[in-house]
Amino acid sequence: MRLAFTEIRRAPVRYLLLVAAVALLMFLILFQQALQDGLVTAFVGAVRNQSAPVLVYSVDAQRTLQASVIPPPLEAELRAVDGVGDVARVDQGTFTVEVDGELRDATILGTDNAEIFHPTELVEGREPETAGEAIGSSVDFAVGDEVEIVPFGDAEATTITVVGLARDVQLNVTPTLFTDSETFAEADRAANPDVAVVLPNALAVVPASGVSAEDVVDAIDAAVPDAEALTRTEAADTAPGVAQVRQSFQIIFALYVLVIPLVTGLFFLIITLQKADALTLLRAIGAPASTLVRTLLLQVGAVLVLGLLVGTLLYAPLSQMQVGGLKLQFDAGSVLAWAVLIAVLGLLSVFAAMRRVLRIDPVEATIGPGVR
Amino acid sequence: MKLALREMRRRPGRFVVAWTILALIAVLLMFLGGLLDGLLGSQTGAYRSQQADLIVYSENARESLPRSQITPEVKAEVERVEGVAEVGSLGSTQLGARPEDDPDSRDLMAVVLFGYEVAPRGVPEDPPGLGKVVADSSLRSDGVSVGDTLLIGPARTPVEVVGMVDATTYSGQASLWASIETWRAVTDENRPDLAGRTTVQALMVRVEAGDDPEKVAAAIDDATGETKTLTISAAIEALPGVSQQRSTFSQIIGVTALVAGVVVALFFALITVERTALYGILKAIGASNRTLVGGVVLQALVVSLAAALVGAVAALVFDVLIEPGALPFAATPARLLTSTMLLVIAGVVGSAFSLRRVLRVDPAAAIGGTP
Amino acid sequence: MNSNPSVASSAESNDPSSAKSGPALVLEGVRKVYSSGGGETVALDHADLRVEHDEIVALVGPSGSGKTTLCSIAGGLLSPSEGKVIVAGEDITEYSARKLTEFRRTSVGFVFQSVNLVPYLTARENLLVVNELAGRGSRRSDAKDRADNLLKELGLADRADNLPGGLSGGERQRVAIGRALMNEPALVLFDEPTSALDSKTGDLVVKLIRDEIKARGTAAIIVTHDDRITHYADRTVRIEDGRISA
Repeated sequence: MRLAFTEIRRAPVRYLLLVAAVALLMFLILFQQALQDGLVTAFVGAVRNQSAPVLVYSVDAQRTLQASVIPPPLEAELRAVDGVGDVARVDQGTFTVEVDGELRDATILGTDNAEIFHPTELVEGREPETAGEAIGSSVDFAVGDEVEIVPFGDAEATTITVVGLARDVQLNVTPTLFTDSETFAEADRAANPDVAVVLPNALAVVPASGVSAEDVVDAIDAAVPDAEALTRTEAADTAPGVAQVRQSFQIIFALYVLVIPLVTGLFFLIITLQKADALTLLRAIGAPASTLVRTLLLQVGAVLVLGLLVGTLLYAPLSQMQVGGLKLQFDAGSVLAWAVLIAVLGLLSVFAAMRRVLRIDPVEATIGPGVR
Repeated sequence: MKLALREMRRRPGRFVVAWTILALIAVLLMFLGGLLDGLLGSQTGAYRSQQADLIVYSENARESLPRSQITPEVKAEVERVEGVAEVGSLGSTQLGARPEDDPDSRDLMAVVLFGYEVAPRGVPEDPPGLGKVVADSSLRSDGVSVGDTLLIGPARTPVEVVGMVDATTYSGQASLWASIETWRAVTDENRPDLAGRTTVQALMVRVEAGDDPEKVAAAIDDATGETKTLTISAAIEALPGVSQQRSTFSQIIGVTALVAGVVVALFFALITVERTALYGILKAIGASNRTLVGGVVLQALVVSLAAALVGAVAALVFDVLIEPGALPFAATPARLLTSTMLLVIAGVVGSAFSLRRVLRVDPAAAIGGTP
Repeated sequence: MNSNPSVASSAESNDPSSAKSGPALVLEGVRKVYSSGGGETVALDHADLRVEHDEIVALVGPSGSGKTTLCSIAGGLLSPSEGKVIVAGEDITEYSARKLTEFRRTSVGFVFQSVNLVPYLTARENLLVVNELAGRGSRRSDAKDRADNLLKELGLADRADNLPGGLSGGERQRVAIGRALMNEPALVLFDEPTSALDSKTGDLVVKLIRDEIKARGTAAIIVTHDDRITHYADRTVRIEDGRISA
């Protein structure tokens, strides 16, 4: 509508500043959303995106793989639980490795049954067929990489070849490799020569046929107090640190989301108050109240659309980069969700300004500040 | 200038609006800063409280404590290096702890058991006897107090808490400080995969008075050929996640301050339009540009400071209210100060935006009735 | 007769012929009472007034006499407490706020004493604004032609693209007159049109009002103290303490 945009054209600076504020805030929200997602994935991607429906840790580990250990008696107890189908051992260790002459950290996950425990999404290459081969996290490795475990002292060095890549399978923000127990044991011996015996950190469990993952989890928890069973999603979502990350970001998001409608709402209230005279005049000469309200909504709508668009555009190039070692992603779904939320709040925020517009009594054009 | 202040007092409405939004942004800034400090604090407490000057890792560990292993031979070599005053072993194991009266609890306290020889601040010079530990005070929120016995790990190894120390958390977990012997005994019992080792993870080194720690560090690495020695502050930066969190959060804080600047610019733009008549009159009666500009800047300053005050109070209240274990948050004076400065700078710069219009006002237009 | 594409939609125009020749305004026993706090204020007390379709009436009286109230009621800005208001054959006494808004848009023109122009619209845009806001108004090109013609008549053709801030007091007043005439009203209400102008500009405006109103055969009520206006008005009505005399 002409009036709405004519007004913006005549005083562009203030509207542009408002658009800038909305854009920056939208950018910040998207950035932090991606950061949160990236952080969570980098922490527990390997747990979430692997094939076993149930993981069992020792209860002392409080849901971290590296603190968990399953000694043989515990393993025997677990295998015997009703409802447990196939079981695989899962080894985990963090090592210093050398790839292409460069020293790096790597988490290695070993298993004695890759059919049960393997990354669910292979994006390049193939699965390991022999010992010494592994699937690597796609952001850290390339197919064909020779990963040498840096030995401690004069222990024997050992090398793992990356034959496949999987997406979003990092553990603890470290490059991660999926391989078999034998290869893991060799790597472990290279880095820790005086290790006596390699015990699995956890067990990957497939429920027996006809039994659901939740049922197996309950059964194990009830039967074996020294172990903690979790479904794959639980294991990822309730890992320590993940909940804390989510919680902290929750509060941050709430604050940012509050700022936007506060700024738009107060902005439009102020300019409505400032042009009260002109609005009264318009009502007096016959402009319907609904038209003036529509003008207001059009303006706030235009500001929000432009601001959200610019904010998203600012964020798009960033999402192709790595920030602090984290790969960010452009998730169209969450961008849309945030845009809708902010747009709705922004529209609601002009409620006060709208009320002011509706409260105008056209007779004030004649009566003015005092009755004559 | 006084006129500017009087305007704020007589017609607070327009300034209250800007103050409200800036206050919210101030809360955001302080909260982000507090979150960052809290996260970093909880991750690095054990290191920051160290009184030694250097920490020695094995070279292949890439500055990671859990992966580092120092043999007794290497330790002996380090002791012989020129400039080294004292060398102490450091070992750590992550375990779960249960209270004595609930040995089968499934809800454990996440702790890191440190074996030490060179004491951090607040921990006794001589390590406690076998089976005794000094606990980090964050365990108080779990109901632990001096004299309690904790059962560590799957083997439920009992240790007695003989003292408490502040701010020594590591990786977000509470620490227990014990002698090397206690540490080894507990680890052997509870981590069969780590049992039987003769190594420790790192060495804490105190440098001779007057010597340059960096030089001594280089000397140690030269002497052993298989270590990586860092100053404590460098080691803290190298702890996993520290530098990434710092840079990421700083970027977010920076952009948020930018938003504050834009908001101030916005509201001063709105206000200035109303005041062109006023400025015209002031200029006509002899107010210099400098006075008017000073007035605007002063108002921006006052609004920003008032907003920063709200943010600081909110941060302090939050700090007091949340449980130490619930959310990592620390409202430090340094952080509150830098956040305040950021906000004030953003506010003053933002207000500068409207200054062009102030300077352009023609005093002659004041006479003869402006529109 | 003025062809009125813009008022064609006015469904309440009872009788086109009476609108042309009948009185522009009939007030019958109009009373306006405000109750406030303890008592009542009677702003208008049994006002009777009849303005013919092409009459110019000057309205004089001291401040607080009820002039503003009378104009407000006549212009559909206010509803009376008692009595009848008929403008160009249309009985607006019981009109709802929304119908009054439409009535004001199509049938009356206002030139207020203080705020007359929308500050962020040019002179031309100020003339066009209500037509646009109504939505169902005439086509933009027709309205634009009419606006430009009006501006030319008012001697403002070269100021059409100026914002009110770039116009002198007299020029702004002329734009306001143009705006009041845009919808070809049956009645135009003026509130002290020359009180803020110097004598030369005042002369010009007085002349313009007279010429434009007479040329269109529109009725007008002009609240004024200005002798120049009372001089050429068809008649002068005095109002005091809410009562009309003579």
